[in-house]
Amino acid sequence: MIKYRYTLRAFVIIGLILSSITVFARGVYQTDQDFLAETFNQAVPKSKVVWVKGELAATITEILGHKYSGLRIRYWKNEQRSVWILEEIGKEKPITFGIVIVGNKIEKIKVLAFRESRGGEIRHPAFTQQFEQAALDKLKLDRHIDGVSGATLSVRAMTDVAILALYLDEFTDENIKD
Amino acid sequence: MNRKMRSLHRSLGAIVAVFVLMLASTGILLNHTSDLDLDKRYLTWGWIMAHYGIGTVEPDAVYLLDRHTISQFGPQVFIDATPATQSHVPVLGGIVIDDLMVLATQDALLLFTPEGEFIEQMGESVGIPSSIQNIGLFHGDPVVQTRNGQWRSDFMLDQWEQLSMDGVGWSEPQAMPASLEEELGHYFRGKGISVERVILDVHNGHILGKYGIWFADLLGAFLVLISMTGLWLWARRRG
Repeated sequence: MIKYRYTLRAFVIIGLILSSITVFARGVYQTDQDFLAETFNQAVPKSKVVWVKGELAATITEILGHKYSGLRIRYWKNEQRSVWILEEIGKEKPITFGIVIVGNKIEKIKVLAFRESRGGEIRHPAFTQQFEQAALDKLKLDRHIDGVSGATLSVRAMTDVAILALYLDEFTDENIKD
Repeated sequence: MNRKMRSLHRSLGAIVAVFVLMLASTGILLNHTSDLDLDKRYLTWGWIMAHYGIGTVEPDAVYLLDRHTISQFGPQVFIDATPATQSHVPVLGGIVIDDLMVLATQDALLLFTPEGEFIEQMGESVGIPSSIQNIGLFHGDPVVQTRNGQWRSDFMLDQWEQLSMDGVGWSEPQAMPASLEEELGHYFRGKGISVERVILDVHNGHILGKYGIWFADLLGAFLVLISMTGLWLWARRRG
């Protein structure tokens, strides 16, 4: 009987730990301005905007699988790199991603804020490392991204946003002159 | 004993008859759902909507901007009766500058076209002051009240200077216009509850919620009892 009681307690403790991990998965990991300051070594350039209209709007819809929520997208760019802070819904709530692009390749992708109750594993460097040096190949990434069990929709959101950032980087390079 | 059993049998019969009639009539109706279009007819009575948990929905905040009504229900922000964007923090006020509608939350400004189309969210990363408490206009310029004082910008909203100003026209919450309340009610309630759903819930007792299950159990017990008393009386007569 005592053995069963200890087993029960062990299950309860493990359950509490697991549920707290899920709860801790939610939150703001880094503010937008801290991410920008870190990326640009405190010398954050003035932001620019790209208007989502015409062919660009159609391509974004194709990438995301739905219309982009907003008429303009803000980005930061200096000689070396561009930074895109984009939101995409995982299952129900928006996830905020920060994407750094250098030479049309992803230098870094980071989850800045995660609001879903599940799928927070995508924020771990072991997962995000897969995106490093990824480039665009006909509106897809040039590599396969391994999924995370139980985080399929969050993985999809991150992949879509990575493609979108690469596409927008190319688009602004070609169409928006300083 | 015989008389008591007969009296019990009759009483149970009267009680059970009411519910058997109800079960039979609702059962017949459910058998002909398609013929009677019960799945295409809807009820929107206030009490029945409230019973199904889709009664009146109260907005968290309402602001009148120019010719538009801005309202927030949970994370959903509406411009008039159209869902415009989501904000997971409360909308604290709004202003109209040039050809922009600007809503303020504690850490960002939400920009909309005059037609109510969402443009973007501007936060601290583009210089918007933090800890916003309200938004207003001072001689046509946008002003925000923050925990650290008042800040003024121009229509570009990307340069803010801290100033102390008197006579700012602050945004204030308003009441929801009745006509819009009705329109938003349609949005939240949809068509209503289908007649089929209500009849099915009456049939299986779910209309009474968790008590419906107990009620169905009680009715079942009555049916068992009435069967047993009936059999007992029949056996006695034969004997």
